[in-house]
Amino acid sequence: MARFRNKKRKVFVKPVAKKQPSVDHVTGEKIPKSFVFSRGKLPGPLRQLQMDLRKLMLPFTALKLKEKKRNNLKDFLNVAGPMGVTHFLILSKTESAPYLRVARTPQGPTITFKIQEYSLASDIAQSQLRPRCPQDLFKNSPLIVLSGFGTGEQHLKLTTIMFQNIFPAIDINTVKLSSCQRIVLLNYNKDTKLIDFRHYSIRLQPVGVSRRIRKFVQNHQVPDLRTLQDVSDFVTKAGYGSESEADDEAATVSLAADLGRANRVSTKSAVKLQEIGPRMTLQLMKIEEGLCSGVVIFSEYGNSNAKEKQDKKERKEGEDGDDEDNDEDSKEEEDDDDETEDFNEEEE
Amino acid sequence: MKKFLQKKARSYNSDDDEVEEEDRNLKWGEKQSGVVKDEVKGGFKSKFSDSDEEGEENGEEKIEVSEDEDGEIQPGVMRFSEGCKAFRLAFKKITKKTASTDHDVLGPVLSAHKKLVAEKLAEEEAERKVKGEAKKEKHLVGEKGHVKPANYLDSHEKHLVGVATRGVVKLFNAVNKAQNSQRGLNPSRSKDEKVIKRQRKEAFFSVLGQTPSQNTGSIEKIGASAGSGSVDAPAWAPLRDNYMLTNSKLKDWDKMPDTAAVDDFGLRPDADSSSDDE
Repeated sequence: MARFRNKKRKVFVKPVAKKQPSVDHVTGEKIPKSFVFSRGKLPGPLRQLQMDLRKLMLPFTALKLKEKKRNNLKDFLNVAGPMGVTHFLILSKTESAPYLRVARTPQGPTITFKIQEYSLASDIAQSQLRPRCPQDLFKNSPLIVLSGFGTGEQHLKLTTIMFQNIFPAIDINTVKLSSCQRIVLLNYNKDTKLIDFRHYSIRLQPVGVSRRIRKFVQNHQVPDLRTLQDVSDFVTKAGYGSESEADDEAATVSLAADLGRANRVSTKSAVKLQEIGPRMTLQLMKIEEGLCSGVVIFSEYGNSNAKEKQDKKERKEGEDGDDEDNDEDSKEEEDDDDETEDFNEEEE
Repeated sequence: MKKFLQKKARSYNSDDDEVEEEDRNLKWGEKQSGVVKDEVKGGFKSKFSDSDEEGEENGEEKIEVSEDEDGEIQPGVMRFSEGCKAFRLAFKKITKKTASTDHDVLGPVLSAHKKLVAEKLAEEEAERKVKGEAKKEKHLVGEKGHVKPANYLDSHEKHLVGVATRGVVKLFNAVNKAQNSQRGLNPSRSKDEKVIKRQRKEAFFSVLGQTPSQNTGSIEKIGASAGSGSVDAPAWAPLRDNYMLTNSKLKDWDKMPDTAAVDDFGLRPDADSSSDDE
């Protein structure tokens, strides 16, 4: 007997995810998106670091990206295409140290960093007296400041470009200052060749206003006037701490638009940064041309490729400079061999 | 042996029955002795189990279970009423023993095979130690590179904060400069939009007149996301250093300098020096 179907059958409605725009609606530029994931099993603190990095990359990242053991890079790449993901941040761990790879999809290049030291966001918060986390802190992508990279070296230039493009570009004509809440700093130290990776929250405070009044304006709470003789004292008497916060002239800005209750256009505001973490000290290890594959453009350890190249070129110049094309080809092959060796080391 | 055990179990049973019949108003001391008795039973049991007699033990256990099902385990041993006190004292002495003395680390042990128990405990301890060490090692490997930050800002951190602050100030000033002129104008209104467009056009031509100052090699390169935020970057996109780099053209970034064949040389001395450092 045929079963009668219930006429009011529920129609399966595909849950409509809030789709993020792939293009900035004001400037019309493509918004870079990222995946943060890991290769291999990570220990607890590193998993936490991965989560912190995801939060840092918000809002254009997959915060709850689930990965399985059997997922390989190709799987992520296949998903990345339709989702418009442009960057991969890959964490991995070896016996010696954790590694961070920053790659551009789908073609590369891939920059491999060794994480010399790192602190989690929770560590940073624990170290602070008053950790700060406003609600909409992660609603907008951070600014990025790259400092000390202008030494003219090719690999540093590439790193600069990579990190500049990892966050959406800002159009200074249309940007709202209220959306600038966080800043990511990458500072290259020429002497130690290490990159300091820091993540701060930006806070603006009006200059020349006593702390009491500032708090009153911001919080809108009835102030405690018990200790005062007169109401006017509240305004005239400077509360402690207001003078000690010496605002250096360099950190003050005049705003283009009102920002919150306290910061008005007419007044000057001081820029205060507070670290939110994670904190990392990175060492640039190598740059590959492809996505975790391809020719090694730059390598920190025993730059064998470049050395061989140099030797060859010198020899070549000594002998004759005619058949450059042939030599070029052979060099490429050697490069490939070396690269596979490097990769194996990495996997161990 | 088996028979003896069964007999003993029976006798225990009968004791309990008697107790059930007899009285509820036992003195505290007698109660105590009852507790002791239960413990003694446990001690016996362990003794027997040590001497590898499983079957008997089971039998005894069964009886014990039935006892428990009856409800309260009745205290008091009636048959050895005068011997009960001495036993109680002895047992108390044993149970009061603590691990304070040096030669007797284990505390009260009711098993006859005291040595065996000690050995077992020592073995367990060693095992645990090894396990703990392995775990610790694993934990250390996992924690490698993990650093707890200091509570204060050291000079290095202060420097970094300073650099970041300068970057933010630069961006905010640039934004201020760019948006100051168009204050009060609403970009969505067509009339205002024309004004804004004209202003931008003027700015554009004025920038075209300048030479891009970023190529002169300032040490600090502050690009607030793709450099459009930096003050000295040209407003016209193609003039910027990183023009088109948000596209997938990034792949060929080194093809251009290769044709010049200069940068390849530029890379090498650095690489050499790095390998020398190691």
